[in-house]
Amino acid sequence: MASRRRMLLKVIILGDSGVGKTSLMNQYVNRKFSNQYKATIGADFLTKEIQFEDRLFTLQIWDTAGQERFQSLGVAFYRGADCCVLVHDVNVMKSFESLSNWREEFLIQASPSDPENFPFVVLGNKIDVDGGNSRVVSEKKAKAWCASKGNIPYFETSAKEGFNVEAAFECIAKNALKNEPEEEMYIPDTIDVARERQQKSSGCEC
Amino acid sequence: MASDSSSASSSSDEEEESAGQKPNVDVNINSIDNSLDAIENQLSSIALNTPIDERTLPSTDYHQEPVSEIDDGSSRESASEMRRNSIGESSSSRGSGLWRNNLGVEVEVEPEADGELSSPSSSGYAGERGSSSSPTSACGTDVVRELRDNGSSIGDDGVVPLDPSQTQWIRGKQHADEDDGSISWRKRKKHFFVLSHSGKPIYSRYGDEHKLAGFSATLQAIISFVENGGDRVKLVRAGNHQVVFLVKGPIYLVCISCTEEPYESLRGQLELLYGQMILILTRSIDKCFEKNSKFDMTPLLGGTDAVFSSLIHSFSWNPATFLHAYTCLPLAYTTRQTASAILQDVADTGVLFAILMCKNKVISLVGLQKASLHPDDMLLLANFVITSESFSPICLPRYNSMAFLYAYVHYLDVDTIQIEAVLAKSNVLNEVERSLSEGGMRIEDLPVDPSANSGSLFHLTHRKTPTNGTVTGVGGPAGLWHFIYRSIYLDQYVSSEFASPISHPHQQKRLYRAYQRLYASMHDKGVGPHKTQFRRDENYVLLCWVTQDFELYAAFDPLADKGVAIRICNRVCQWVKDVENEIFLLGATPFSW
Repeated sequence: MASRRRMLLKVIILGDSGVGKTSLMNQYVNRKFSNQYKATIGADFLTKEIQFEDRLFTLQIWDTAGQERFQSLGVAFYRGADCCVLVHDVNVMKSFESLSNWREEFLIQASPSDPENFPFVVLGNKIDVDGGNSRVVSEKKAKAWCASKGNIPYFETSAKEGFNVEAAFECIAKNALKNEPEEEMYIPDTIDVARERQQKSSGCEC
Repeated sequence: MASDSSSASSSSDEEEESAGQKPNVDVNINSIDNSLDAIENQLSSIALNTPIDERTLPSTDYHQEPVSEIDDGSSRESASEMRRNSIGESSSSRGSGLWRNNLGVEVEVEPEADGELSSPSSSGYAGERGSSSSPTSACGTDVVRELRDNGSSIGDDGVVPLDPSQTQWIRGKQHADEDDGSISWRKRKKHFFVLSHSGKPIYSRYGDEHKLAGFSATLQAIISFVENGGDRVKLVRAGNHQVVFLVKGPIYLVCISCTEEPYESLRGQLELLYGQMILILTRSIDKCFEKNSKFDMTPLLGGTDAVFSSLIHSFSWNPATFLHAYTCLPLAYTTRQTASAILQDVADTGVLFAILMCKNKVISLVGLQKASLHPDDMLLLANFVITSESFSPICLPRYNSMAFLYAYVHYLDVDTIQIEAVLAKSNVLNEVERSLSEGGMRIEDLPVDPSANSGSLFHLTHRKTPTNGTVTGVGGPAGLWHFIYRSIYLDQYVSSEFASPISHPHQQKRLYRAYQRLYASMHDKGVGPHKTQFRRDENYVLLCWVTQDFELYAAFDPLADKGVAIRICNRVCQWVKDVENEIFLLGATPFSW
């Protein structure tokens, strides 16, 4: 049943400004990290091909800007997403507290058919900072939140050191695959020529 | 190179516009004022960040442009595998990674398309959808019969001998290994993209759809951003590139071109591309997107690359793509009548219509009283059937875009059975072959003395003398080189053979584009419609004459005299009238649409 065709997954990364969304993406796609902070303006798009369970996936990663003023990008950006990645900085409490808002905002904008089971992934980023001493969001706390939202998978990552980044994105593919809708048959109507003819001939014959 | 028709057109006449940095955005006038500036700012920076910039111009010979010019200093992450497209005012990512040096790419046919499309008799892709269509529900059957004369390959038509390698496009997508990081990809003169409203790629003329996912997302972002402001993006100009957008519900179509074709023409081509997609899948596809915005329609289109590449190829040689009219194979009146009588037997069995075609030319068409076959549908249908001989569900977008009909497609040869035998016995096939080899209306045969007309194309004694023996570079009387006559009532056109001054495929393509521009300018809704146009440039004198009954497009020697040219055009119209029962399908069902 499962088709062997390539699958394209639209992945949206959301989170407060400065939590490391672009860095995670760059680490994942290019295995590069830069200490310099450059705000993403609007949105950025990257693609990455991965192989998972014998299937080829193309991740179409939509890296969005965290700043408020770009939130107007709206419905179209979120439409048809296969997975949503929520990122926070474990050293900034507010970024963790925002996760609920981001999640709700996404569900409103994208309005997926089954919001309860829409695949999210939560990443707690920057665990490398200050050897973990400046950390304010504990793993326990983050996991508890994830559990309360329907068992969202949680990963602690370091975009700088490349820690857990690969695993997190693999989980994204796995989740999307699980969520793959059943292939419905495509059966458009067929025109009944005989009936059309009757209807036509009963009309004005000019 | 020769295999790629659109890169084959001469690049010398395509000059770089230096002042083209800031794109002009054609937006609806009723836009929300305060958002316009923002949109324009956004779009101008989009143009900087997407591959639509002056560095891709064909006239730019510096492939090895210094990277420092691309990189503005702040972005140093020149990742080789990186495909990045940005939207927004980003100054950071002009994407130094875009410059992967991919010159010298080999022609490659997509593996899955290869097997089934190399053979015209395969109904491979239709089989893929076989499960979706139970033959028992096939109440309507269309019969499409395509005549294939022995030995000559499809597209190798006397009237349109454009590209010597014309058969190549039938194999499906070429350059499938390219992506938006390839220099070769960026240099292509005309791109077509189809994507879903969620930004997922559906079709790309060049390159691998999946590798272009980021580019596709960028296109969606542009469309959506403008849409968010309650507006619609129709056209973006960037240098000498035009980016034309067409939104059809959940399906977005985009053409990026530096061919200098008018906006209306490019938009018309996108409409046809969409129509071709509907012919294959019907507009019921919209429902799938309504139910599931993630819907991926590419599997449903599996194996149809060749249909799309052949359609796109026809945009550069087939006048039907902009005239919205079809053309007939010139035949003696009685021969066509015989063919019609035979087809009538088929039509009487309850099909919607039966059509006998020779390549893109109609021999005869017989159908129900009220059956409506729009010339655009006929074009799309003919384009579809040249790639497969089959019994297949098809949709005629102008007839009923929501539902399927069934088409039975059969290629005829002289030495096969049944209808062919009847056709052969009645000499129709021989006549068809004769018409193919001798051609239709030759401008050299234009009667100079109106009274000395035989009233037939087929009784001229000198028809078989080769034209190239005479003085080359002269053409017909008074420097007439070529004409197209479109009958408005019949929705048919006739095109003369190409005379020696325009015997080269490049010249023919250039003339085709000139006609296309002429057509667009004559039908410009803003300032038109016009009745006549006389235009002289270094290549030709072009004369266009539009009346209630017909449209005439004629090309003359650039030195032709205006008065004489007008007289000749009158002659052409008279000639067309004299032989109309041989070049047009007369007395056919009046179509209603």
